[in-house]
Amino acid sequence: MTHKHEKSFMLGQGVFIFVYLAVLTALEFGIALTFNSTMILVAVALVKAALVAYYYMHIYKLNAEHEGDENSYEYKSSTNRLGLWLFLVSDSFVFGGLMVMRINLLGLSHPDLSQLLGLVVTSILLISSFFMNRGETLIQNGDRKGFIVNTVITFLLGLGFLLGVVFVEWPNAIHEGIGPGSGPAGAAFFMMTGMHAFHVFTGLILLLIVMNNARRGLYDVKHYPVEAAAVYWHFVDVVWIFFYPALYLVGTVFG
Amino acid sequence: MMMKKNTLGSGLLLLLIAGAVGYGVGLGLDAAVLKTARPNLAGSIPSAFTLLFAFTAFFFGIYGYRGITRGLVWQVLGTIIGALFVTGIRAAMGLNLTSRFLFTEPAWVFGALTGVVSFLFGVGVMDDWMKWARGIDTPEHHEDMPGWEKYFYVSLDHKVIGVQYTVTALFLIAVGGTFALIFRAELAASGFQFLLADPTKFNVFNQTGPQLYNTLMSLHGMIMIVSILLGVSGIINYVVPLVIGAHDMAFPRLNAFAYWIAVPAAVLLLMALILGGFDTGWTGYPPLSSRAPLGVQMFFLGVFTAGWSSILGALNVIATVLRMRAKGMTAMRMPIFVWASIATSIIALTATQLIGLSFQLVMFQRLFGMGFFDPAKGGNPVLFQHMFWFYSHPAVYVFVLPGLGVVSELLPVFVRKPLFGYRWIAMSSLGIALVGFVVWAHHMFTSGMNEYLRVPFMYSTMLVAVPTGVKFFSWVATIWGGKIETPTPMLFVLGAIVVFLLGGVTGPPNAMVALDLHLHDTYWIVGHFHDTIFGGFVFPFFAAIYYWYPKAVGRKMNEFWGKVHFWLMTPSFLILTFGMMYIGLRGMRRRIADYDPALGFDNVHLLLTICAFGIAISVLIFFINFFYSMTKGEVATGNVWNSRSPEWQVPSPMPAHNYEVPFEVVGEPYDYGLPGSKYVEFSANGTGKERHLIGEERLHDA
Repeated sequence: MTHKHEKSFMLGQGVFIFVYLAVLTALEFGIALTFNSTMILVAVALVKAALVAYYYMHIYKLNAEHEGDENSYEYKSSTNRLGLWLFLVSDSFVFGGLMVMRINLLGLSHPDLSQLLGLVVTSILLISSFFMNRGETLIQNGDRKGFIVNTVITFLLGLGFLLGVVFVEWPNAIHEGIGPGSGPAGAAFFMMTGMHAFHVFTGLILLLIVMNNARRGLYDVKHYPVEAAAVYWHFVDVVWIFFYPALYLVGTVFG
Repeated sequence: MMMKKNTLGSGLLLLLIAGAVGYGVGLGLDAAVLKTARPNLAGSIPSAFTLLFAFTAFFFGIYGYRGITRGLVWQVLGTIIGALFVTGIRAAMGLNLTSRFLFTEPAWVFGALTGVVSFLFGVGVMDDWMKWARGIDTPEHHEDMPGWEKYFYVSLDHKVIGVQYTVTALFLIAVGGTFALIFRAELAASGFQFLLADPTKFNVFNQTGPQLYNTLMSLHGMIMIVSILLGVSGIINYVVPLVIGAHDMAFPRLNAFAYWIAVPAAVLLLMALILGGFDTGWTGYPPLSSRAPLGVQMFFLGVFTAGWSSILGALNVIATVLRMRAKGMTAMRMPIFVWASIATSIIALTATQLIGLSFQLVMFQRLFGMGFFDPAKGGNPVLFQHMFWFYSHPAVYVFVLPGLGVVSELLPVFVRKPLFGYRWIAMSSLGIALVGFVVWAHHMFTSGMNEYLRVPFMYSTMLVAVPTGVKFFSWVATIWGGKIETPTPMLFVLGAIVVFLLGGVTGPPNAMVALDLHLHDTYWIVGHFHDTIFGGFVFPFFAAIYYWYPKAVGRKMNEFWGKVHFWLMTPSFLILTFGMMYIGLRGMRRRIADYDPALGFDNVHLLLTICAFGIAISVLIFFINFFYSMTKGEVATGNVWNSRSPEWQVPSPMPAHNYEVPFEVVGEPYDYGLPGSKYVEFSANGTGKERHLIGEERLHDA
């Protein structure tokens, strides 16, 4: 497989996966508005998460055979990849715990939040994952400039998501009477979005770091740090894939 | 590791001076800010400043302004700056600025967080990462300073970090043990002895006697737990890379980070004692913990911070074992201790997040009024208990599995026989770890959870006895017909087996719903879990220290005083826990500062207190032995225990990057006494030339 062929294949794959994800998101929004089946919403979220984990986060790379001895860059990157995934496993227990808290307190109901706003921030995060994947593919094929352009777009979208949640969605919720101290719906909503926003914030810092170092040509050959930042960014997206239906779509309106 | 007398002396001198200065500053702040009429001589603020100043100055005296001293200074400054920052915001918002603990609660919480982060930057453990983030490459290894100085500085060598962990764990064991002695002395007779209930007669750290009792009892629990986690990490860190033939852990910087984040965590836990304490027990259940004094926030933050140490350490262990084993070391040829470490790490990596999260939720409930566990706001207090025990029950397997691994590891060495049922022991560790994830609600039979949960959790809990029984079966079969030698490590191994058996057989009765309703929250439970933890952690921990001490230091610990340690600790401990279970069965409630003399427990309690002091004296002997033997112990650079394990085939102490010649695993690890059997083979570049046939079993052993 030539370099160029692989590049166009990977870029095309990124587009296809993004289209799948977008369709699935529209589907779950439609399901929530019409017959609201929790089972189907969970199934759609699982499919979306699996698509991101496989095609954007390349979970299969954990299983890859590696040439080279213990001191080679490939072998060390592979160890780092394992370490990152172990961290994500650990981190997902935080989000799993939050989900348990939400199910225990709210059951099959969700806070009465602006559906439009929820769909907009979800779309923003999803699109940012697409550009992240594009950027990662480009730097792996030696296109530094393309990587920086795409990462800047990812960063801006991520920042938009963060500001949207904290400065639009939160005041909006408080205005609707769903404040942090108002009851279980508000407590669950602010805790879950807050924890997720904190992870988005750390992801933005990682993006800034790889952008800055890529600008100076650090990742032209050794590009594992880009992959790490991208995988983390997609992980934050995966978390939102579950949090979005849990907070906006599932069941009836709480209260 | 030797300390010159004058450095220790100047450390102690500075400790006194800075302590006095801190006390003065605290009293001054008390008077100036809080405008107290009469100076509160044993109040929180003077004590807090005394602790922080004295602690920091001590390290300054022996070590100068670098490493740990720099970290502590930054932590103090970071805490104050963070607290002032929040106070400034509160001033802008027109909220109140001071409390009886000087700063308000949000200010203290934010300050404590910035303090921890400042410590990490100050001590220098973030230096390389910050350079990488700016695109500056650093060398893979850093040379350590010679002698003892490297132990107070960020080192990337897993052996140095292992020793740092172990010594910190011993320090915290001493602290937690001292707390136990104080409240055990109070319990020696019914009525209040010296922890008086009258605030005019007893007011230390803004707490009356019984309140201080509760604080000490709660902190005894959590400080011991943190010290166990650090002790476990210490042994794993030191031993695992050596026995699998790795030159270091997979992520040396993360390893250092995991250790150093535990230090500010320990400071926070001590701050909890001083800043008003808390009366919740180590479990911190709301709604009590959502109303407890400020100390509970420091406690939550301390545990949260220490949890990260555990999580990141576990991540490192798993990656190291999966990626860095020596040639030929297949899964079924790994030492049993490595299997135990993996099982432990699986729990620590995942479940720890849940205790962190549950404590965070209570913190947010206190800070922002979010009603997760507040029924008045639609919350559910039992939810906290589910999240808390989802970690805190598997946590006991984090404590005991490495200890049981040490037992399985050392037993064949001292009976000169193969380990019986290697595969079964290896799998039983994983079995205990995995079953451990589905037993948590047996702590909640009396707490009002849904009743249909009781029976499934009863059965899953009793299931744990199966893999544990496998271990006992294997140990007994290993000892059977062996040539038993009893140097100090073996004594502790045998003690561990006996004591853990007692902890094991007292467990299933608690799992029975019908019995647990009666036994819950009695001294029976206290006796039971001290048996499991001493059998599963304390005895094996001491065994491991006596056993691997020569590897780390090149000298043996004194054998005679080691035996004195064992023969004083074991009977004291057995009487202590038998007595606890006896009065527990007869109705003695746990966690109370006083009891009714009509119960007739005065004599037993006095005996228990005497035994507790017996344990303390034995551990004191151990400490003296530990530090004395560093310089004066019998020189032991060879294979002291005649072990087959690779780390003993090279001279002690180990060089910085472990094996100069890599080894290859060519046989089974525990075939002691089988003539001609061989475990590892050292070869130069794997060419087969210049092979050193070390590790071959000697024929006279058979």
